[in-house]
Amino acid sequence: MKKIKKSSIAMLLTFLLLIPLTLYLGTFLSGRNYYITATLIIVELLIPFILAFEGRKPQARELVLIAVMCAIGIVGRVAIPIPHFKATFAIIMLSGVAFGPEAGFMVGAVTALASNFFYGQGAFTPWQMMAYGAGGMLAGYLFKKKRLPKNPFILAAFGFFAVLLWVGPLLDCSGLFLMSPSISFSWVIAYFAAGFSVNMSQAISTAVVMLLFGKPLLDILERIKRKYGMSEESEGG
Amino acid sequence: MTQDAFSKYHPAINILFFVGAIGSCVMIQHPAYLLAGVLTSGMYYLLLHGRSGWKMIGALVPLFLFLAAINPLFNTRGETVLFWILGRPYTLEALLYGVSVASVFVVMMLWLGCYNKVLTGDKFTCLFGNLIPSLSLLLVMVFRLVPNLIRKTRQISGARKAIGKGAGSGASLKNKLTAGMTVLGVLTSWALEGSVVTGDSMRARGYGTARRSSFTIYRMTAADWGMLCILLILLGTVIGFAIGGSMTATFVPKRSIAPIGGTNLLGFAAYCGYLLIPSALHIKETIRWNISKYRI
Repeated sequence: MKKIKKSSIAMLLTFLLLIPLTLYLGTFLSGRNYYITATLIIVELLIPFILAFEGRKPQARELVLIAVMCAIGIVGRVAIPIPHFKATFAIIMLSGVAFGPEAGFMVGAVTALASNFFYGQGAFTPWQMMAYGAGGMLAGYLFKKKRLPKNPFILAAFGFFAVLLWVGPLLDCSGLFLMSPSISFSWVIAYFAAGFSVNMSQAISTAVVMLLFGKPLLDILERIKRKYGMSEESEGG
Repeated sequence: MTQDAFSKYHPAINILFFVGAIGSCVMIQHPAYLLAGVLTSGMYYLLLHGRSGWKMIGALVPLFLFLAAINPLFNTRGETVLFWILGRPYTLEALLYGVSVASVFVVMMLWLGCYNKVLTGDKFTCLFGNLIPSLSLLLVMVFRLVPNLIRKTRQISGARKAIGKGAGSGASLKNKLTAGMTVLGVLTSWALEGSVVTGDSMRARGYGTARRSSFTIYRMTAADWGMLCILLILLGTVIGFAIGGSMTATFVPKRSIAPIGGTNLLGFAAYCGYLLIPSALHIKETIRWNISKYRI
């Protein structure tokens, strides 16, 4: 019989036990329980990914590589001194494209966590980790094994819609759950409308970085991979 | 003045306090408890940040007013109509509910502001180093790499400026963008080459061959255990009274707020005591420091 991995057990436990339990207990809390319940669920969703990463016992090279990509994402705003222009998310997605979905997730989640140590942790930290991590992972899946061509325009379009439709709204959700007195349709519309301009500027800056910089950066990453023999097939061995 | 006294306790004590303080402020919407939360978190925030702390408080006040005032526009339930706006009633109950939601938000921002000052990166990795070793190692490496890469970025742009390829402050947006991208590209290949060398060097020194031990300078001392007991007793009292229903308050559609008095006062006192601990320690330390300085 094939041995079941520890991380898949954690994944199953989270989805079948922990999240329903949280939802069930959440109904007992008085007052604005939805914020605590929602944030707990986000944290619980992060657990299986982190356990899978820990369980795999990542190699030294892989660890340092992820750390470097995270640091570049954080430093991006020093390198490009234009206000409100963030290359962070583009770099996360390009890491996902170059090194695969798992690395994409870790780069995203760790970038969110680590950058908040520099700029201040907030109630949004777990949400940001999830949003960035899932964005990096999605990029990894979509561009894996030439499913989508790594064309600058496709990269830019992907970055634009991923920020506008996934990362931005998920961050708006943390504000919605924290600040609005009740969850109703009008509040949801109000929050998403308020966040739209910020999300739009983020989406545009991500698309610009992807368009101008996506291909050159991918070439750099590919070159490093080829030079040091870190192609995806040999990574497992 | 030296360091904040509460920050000198074990990181586990620090994180326990903040989890308790933030958790209870989100769960309890009783006005008296919220007021206690606002005052204590504001006090500790100002003690930690000094004069620059007022900037944050100044930014939170308009946000508080906005969040409080906007709720009745969405929620028209309630008994006491204050006035009509756009054909919809603006009720006192909904306004009070808005005030309570806005206070929760303000208290949370203030406690998180204190958390950022108290629980630094090294304390975080000390707490989670054994639980999630690879992730903590990643975080430590990122903490080290960020200042390192900022230095390298300055070097690269300085070198490019010296050969006349830099974008000064007067450059157009397009030039700034392309210059920034080039710097980022150079930085990426430089840092990644370095990362491979670091990785191989770690492997050569036996990374991954055995359980990694971690060094911390934090030890649970007698004072830490004492503080842990105090925190747990106070928190237990608060939770006990909360389950007993002495902290319930609803605003819409009808105001119903549990009175503070009799035995309920004990729960309130425990809550205030819990939230005052860090500020009290800080003030005690300041007074002691000044007395010792005076004696010299």
